[in-house]
Amino acid sequence: MNRNIPPPLKIKKRLTLVDCLLYGAVALLIFYAAYRVNDVLIYHWNWSKVLGFLVKFDDETQSWASNLLLQGLWTTLRLALWATVLATVFGIIMGYWRTCQNLTLRIISRTYVELIRNMPPIVFIFIFYFFVSSQIFPALGIEDIDSDGAFASSTIFHFMFGDPRLFSNFLAGMICLALFEGAYITEIVRAGIQTTEKGQWEAARAIGLSPFNVLRDIVIPQAVRKILPPLAGQFITLIKDSAIISLISIQELTFVATEVAATTTRVFETWILVGFMYFVLCYSFALLFAHLERRAKRSQR
Amino acid sequence: MTISKIFKTLTLVTLLTLSGNALADDLLIDIQKRGVMKVGMATFVPWAMRDKDGNLIGFEIDVATKLAEDMGVKVEFVPTAWSGIIPALIAKKFDLIIGGMSITPQRNLTVNFTEPYAHSGQQMAASMQLADGFDSIDDFNKSSVTIACRRGATPCIAAQKIFPKATVLRFDDDAQAFQEVVNGNAHGMISSAPKPRFWSEAYPGKVFLPFGSENLTRGDEAFALRKGEHDALNFFSNWITINTSNGWLDETHAYWFQDQSAWKDMVAPE
Repeated sequence: MNRNIPPPLKIKKRLTLVDCLLYGAVALLIFYAAYRVNDVLIYHWNWSKVLGFLVKFDDETQSWASNLLLQGLWTTLRLALWATVLATVFGIIMGYWRTCQNLTLRIISRTYVELIRNMPPIVFIFIFYFFVSSQIFPALGIEDIDSDGAFASSTIFHFMFGDPRLFSNFLAGMICLALFEGAYITEIVRAGIQTTEKGQWEAARAIGLSPFNVLRDIVIPQAVRKILPPLAGQFITLIKDSAIISLISIQELTFVATEVAATTTRVFETWILVGFMYFVLCYSFALLFAHLERRAKRSQR
Repeated sequence: MTISKIFKTLTLVTLLTLSGNALADDLLIDIQKRGVMKVGMATFVPWAMRDKDGNLIGFEIDVATKLAEDMGVKVEFVPTAWSGIIPALIAKKFDLIIGGMSITPQRNLTVNFTEPYAHSGQQMAASMQLADGFDSIDDFNKSSVTIACRRGATPCIAAQKIFPKATVLRFDDDAQAFQEVVNGNAHGMISSAPKPRFWSEAYPGKVFLPFGSENLTRGDEAFALRKGEHDALNFFSNWITINTSNGWLDETHAYWFQDQSAWKDMVAPE
């Protein structure tokens, strides 16, 4: 045994004097910046107007209900969840096609991925909204969905998709985001499938498994483990990307915020608050996914 | 059947289907069949804004609500980002725009306008720090002067026309343009009356109205419809004529524009 190798360094868990000094310096800098902002910016801060748009007291039901900004947050969350589900479906199909032997399937999926990844999101969103969705939706009759119908007015529908009157608006935003993020998930899935060594494919084929069985029993179980962490990251990215679709007037948090800012003329307060709301939403998901990942690792052993 | 005969039949069939569509596509009939009129609008004080509970209120909201009532249908508002409101109308996201849109020849090439239902004007709010004592157009028409406005809207066009020598700063939103004046980064900002007046009241000693309550320009606001909707255009225009004659439009306009004290408490808690 080689005694010259030093023991592995313990991860420091206590703050030293240097750390404290560093924190102090950063805090000072922030205070100075805040002071300068107040000096340069002539602005009467008034948070009450904006905070009032978080919750309201409903006189009819005698209870607190979410007001515009929180409603926007729920719409963002619903959008992100459904768009991720749909994008994952796209991603799995396209990702599988990316690794197929069939040339046509490879061309289709490659075109999809390259088209979306090499276009600014905003351009794609405008093209989709003004050309694609306005042609397809009326043809499918989604625009004329009966908002007083039994299913549309049920609480389940409301919980899953929000206000039925805004359903076509919601759907346009959701499909738009899903198509967009699907391209990135395609690449995650492709990478997941392709990291399974060629030798495993060959070995499995050699013992007589069909290509489908190889995929089901050998490739997918390994791929899923590799795909899940980046997929979780992509979900958080999607929440942040969803702010872009405010430009096509999807009634999510950012769009609602522009309305609140216009109504109250409290631009800074609105955007600081909205930034904080996005942060809380994304960071809680990041913590949740980190926790799940740790648990999954433990159970693997 | 000869080729030319087939071709003729095809043309006839196409023409028939097209004319049939033209009848079925009539906007007025569509709205009545649906029982809902979809109105595209953008938030703009005091045309359309949110009250404390997040509901839409404002001059335009009153106009559209009464219009729908008179047609015997429900009204549904589609809040839309201002910069994309005309493309959204053309893409049939709603039936018409009641959004304080001023008639301009450029816009009129793309959409149809009704008779005007309101006459707005552009007002200027100026910074006391930078523009103290300025009271004429010439005072602001200098290369050293910066004027802020909301992009894609009439104020920016007015700013460039009235003050060609000044630098024009474009913002996404009126409030941002106004903030530039309060911060002393712009000498003045132009926006639709009465917003500059409301703001100068909110920031006394920082912001003033260099031209008093006199407006720089006069605008004509009208409903906007897609090209080709002649029947609907006729109906809406006449609705406006009637409600101008009977004084309802003037009365409603005065309620929202003259004084904010009547509705200020509805908008936001102080």
